[in-house]
Amino acid sequence: MSLEPRTDPNPPTAEPETPAKGPAIDAQALHQEILDLGTQGMVMNMGPQHPSTHGVLRLILTLDGEEVMACEPMIGYLHRGLEKMAERRPYRHFLPFTDRLDYVCSLANNLACAQAIERLAGVEVPERAQWLRVALMELNRIASHLLFLGTFGTDLGATTMLLYAFREREEALALLEAITGARLTYNWIRVGGLPDDMPENWDKGVLAFCDLLESRLPEYDRLLTDNPIFRRRTEGVGVVSPEDAKAYGLTGPTLRASGVAYDIRRWAPYEKYAEIDFDVVVLRDGDTFARYLARRLELEQSVRILRQVFDKLPEGPIASKVGKVLKPPPGIAFSQVESPRGELSFTMVSDGSPNPVRVHIRAPSFANLTVLADLVAGNKVADVVAILGSIDIVLGEVDR
Amino acid sequence: MIAQALENPWIRQLVNAAMLLAVINLGVLVLIYLERKVAGYIQSRLGPVHVGPRGWLQSVADAVKLVLKEDIIPAPADRFMFVLAPFFVFVPVLAVFLVLPFSSGWVAYDFSLAALYVIAAGTVAIMGIVMAGWGTNNKYSLLGGLRSAAQLISYEVPVVLAILAVVFFAQSMSLVEIAEAQRGFRWFIFQPPLLVAAFVYMIGQLAETNRTPFDLPEAESELVSGFHTEYSGIRFAMFFLAEFANTFFASALAVVLFFGGWDGLPGLTGALWLVLKSYVLVFVLMWIRWTLPRVRVDQLLGFAWKVLVPIGLIVVLWAAASVVYARGVAR
Amino acid sequence: MNPLRTLLGGLWRIFLGMGLTLKTFFRPKVTIRYPYERRPVSPRYRGMFYLKWNEEKQRLNCVGCTLCAQACPTDVISMNKVGKGTTAGVDEFVMDLGRCMFCNLCVEACPFDAIYMGDRYEFAVTEKEGSVLRIVDLAQGGPENARRNVETLMRLQAEAAEKGKPGESPKPQARPAEEGA
Repeated sequence: MSLEPRTDPNPPTAEPETPAKGPAIDAQALHQEILDLGTQGMVMNMGPQHPSTHGVLRLILTLDGEEVMACEPMIGYLHRGLEKMAERRPYRHFLPFTDRLDYVCSLANNLACAQAIERLAGVEVPERAQWLRVALMELNRIASHLLFLGTFGTDLGATTMLLYAFREREEALALLEAITGARLTYNWIRVGGLPDDMPENWDKGVLAFCDLLESRLPEYDRLLTDNPIFRRRTEGVGVVSPEDAKAYGLTGPTLRASGVAYDIRRWAPYEKYAEIDFDVVVLRDGDTFARYLARRLELEQSVRILRQVFDKLPEGPIASKVGKVLKPPPGIAFSQVESPRGELSFTMVSDGSPNPVRVHIRAPSFANLTVLADLVAGNKVADVVAILGSIDIVLGEVDR
Repeated sequence: MIAQALENPWIRQLVNAAMLLAVINLGVLVLIYLERKVAGYIQSRLGPVHVGPRGWLQSVADAVKLVLKEDIIPAPADRFMFVLAPFFVFVPVLAVFLVLPFSSGWVAYDFSLAALYVIAAGTVAIMGIVMAGWGTNNKYSLLGGLRSAAQLISYEVPVVLAILAVVFFAQSMSLVEIAEAQRGFRWFIFQPPLLVAAFVYMIGQLAETNRTPFDLPEAESELVSGFHTEYSGIRFAMFFLAEFANTFFASALAVVLFFGGWDGLPGLTGALWLVLKSYVLVFVLMWIRWTLPRVRVDQLLGFAWKVLVPIGLIVVLWAAASVVYARGVAR
Repeated sequence: MNPLRTLLGGLWRIFLGMGLTLKTFFRPKVTIRYPYERRPVSPRYRGMFYLKWNEEKQRLNCVGCTLCAQACPTDVISMNKVGKGTTAGVDEFVMDLGRCMFCNLCVEACPFDAIYMGDRYEFAVTEKEGSVLRIVDLAQGGPENARRNVETLMRLQAEAAEKGKPGESPKPQARPAEEGA
């Protein structure tokens, strides 16, 4: 894996793009058809303030009774101009801001940003730091997926799942607090490594948590996965074919539930993932239940990864020395990580000054959200909530 | 002077009605506290613990809070409907308590057609819900109200069929006589057709009282609060109380129909046995609520008409056949 | 028989789920009854800031180098430095917590062991100005130590000025100017 800053040898030429093959329902045409008929669908706002839109997302639904004819998502309610803020600050100062992108798994954002800066500046990360970064990422993945399980259950009416998932998430958050000092916005990845080593017995705490989680997973299955009402609500709802999934640019468990085996940890391994043995969870059905099950099974894989990290953790420094003022040579760097939501990538452009010229953040939730409008047409209102929940978005990174 | 006033039958009935109202509302307050505690315990948490010893006064605090709130009527709402709707929901629930027998002598009015009356009076609440949904001039509430109308009307049928099966066995529609027929632990639940009828009845009543898994009309995660989104203060309190009173009534009716009413071991009075058994059933209802997710509206209606109604019809035939067979054998 | 099988199978799985919730009903509860009970926080917890007090030297460790202010991404810190060299210090240290992200970068940047994040997390205020903290709020040991800090700094400044060499701590060697001065 090269850490040199890369300049793009093949700049894109101006080529006409063939439009991707979309789904059968054309929302615009349908909308027009309704208006032509003279009957108006009822336009309802699943507004920015709603218990189930996982943040400030506005969905303008056109309903025919209980059935959705068209859906228009509107975003931007949480836009804070993070990419512009990055241009005004030195590289290191931007790292705490990345916490607030996907605030459910902050360390993934931190890691993506730090990796991009490291590639720009040509900084190597010591071995111990790389292994610990993997552990932190996977712990965060577990916390994020537990939150998903809880909120997905609540969206469908099983409120108890929320409490059970958060009971375990509390343990994960306590572990993360023991090492980083914070519970949600960790800011614990620096250019060149980590700010500090893990405290004593932290590894024992993590392994104990792994055992606890494994004992609770069958309970989640009893409560939710095997429940016939849950199955009937989610099976066959919102099916995405593999071709459509690739055309829309979906990534993460949303994509893998449709049968496409794409996981950055395997495809372009970063940190120490190449040396860890784990399975990529791929399901074939592409419906809401498959998206739920993919995340539920990824919990088991994360536990597997965590156990291997602490087996193989070497001694050594926790960060390499980086100068006080970081002025990377001019160039472009690109970093990708597999966040719990999908492929999170940072593109940073440097011109030799202490501030970056441009930072672009490719957020997985943003791309995953694009499939929503075409997916819900023809389904019921209750399915909108189920589908939106299963795509698992976080508005912080949709809007940046 | 009070004794003289009580000689007047009208005043006597008024006092009876007031006492009944007080008892029902007190029972509802207890039920609300129980719901929150049971929900908490199922979810690995404590529930209310702060107000009063072990949180017992939480319902009182809630009631006081609701009473003290500002009465808000949304400007574009249809005032007439908006104001009238809570009464249409609350009054029928109180009205059906009139025929519920708590013990052999303890019934406000021993009506010979009680079973029919209960079903008929309960149906009026549907109108109230639709009025609430329409009157608030809010699309979420409208959706909730319409869903609710479809749901309540559909699930009346299995409930009626289940009650019909019981009426066959008891040979009377009076709730007092139905309970009397089960005296001596010969509860109807032990009869096979009525065991199935009990299941049908309970599932139907889950839907009638708008409880998960059938709580679409107030699906919190989809419609905020469904048909009573815009209600606050006392108006909301009426909806809330009506829902819990209905839950208690459904359980109490189940006890009278299937579990022997006030029949029990000789230690306690009959009324206490009825209340105890009702609370066990109420606990089961809460247990179900906090475990299962919600069904979708088309699945809801499909389940009612394609599963429950056929089973209900089979149960009715089965019950009728059992009664005729038992009579024939007795001869 | 198939629809009956699915119905009964579904009922059975529902019963299993309900069995789980009943089991949890009797398990110990995880509620922490705040504010009567509090959850212990880890030693590294990033709570309210404090400026470390050096009991030996009777002053705050802070020398006013502004490295923390430069490291802060959101311009939270400002200070007023007095004196020069190693006898320097601060007599005013302002943190505008409304802007603070609690990101820990200032703590990591400080080379003099002067600023730390403690374990206090309950600091709601009722006015906006209440979230701007000054040295009297931040000094470890309270306003008393902030005052003593200033006294010590004044004393160090006076001693350094006497020697005519600003920034040097008094050395334990005899010099002609010391006698009878």
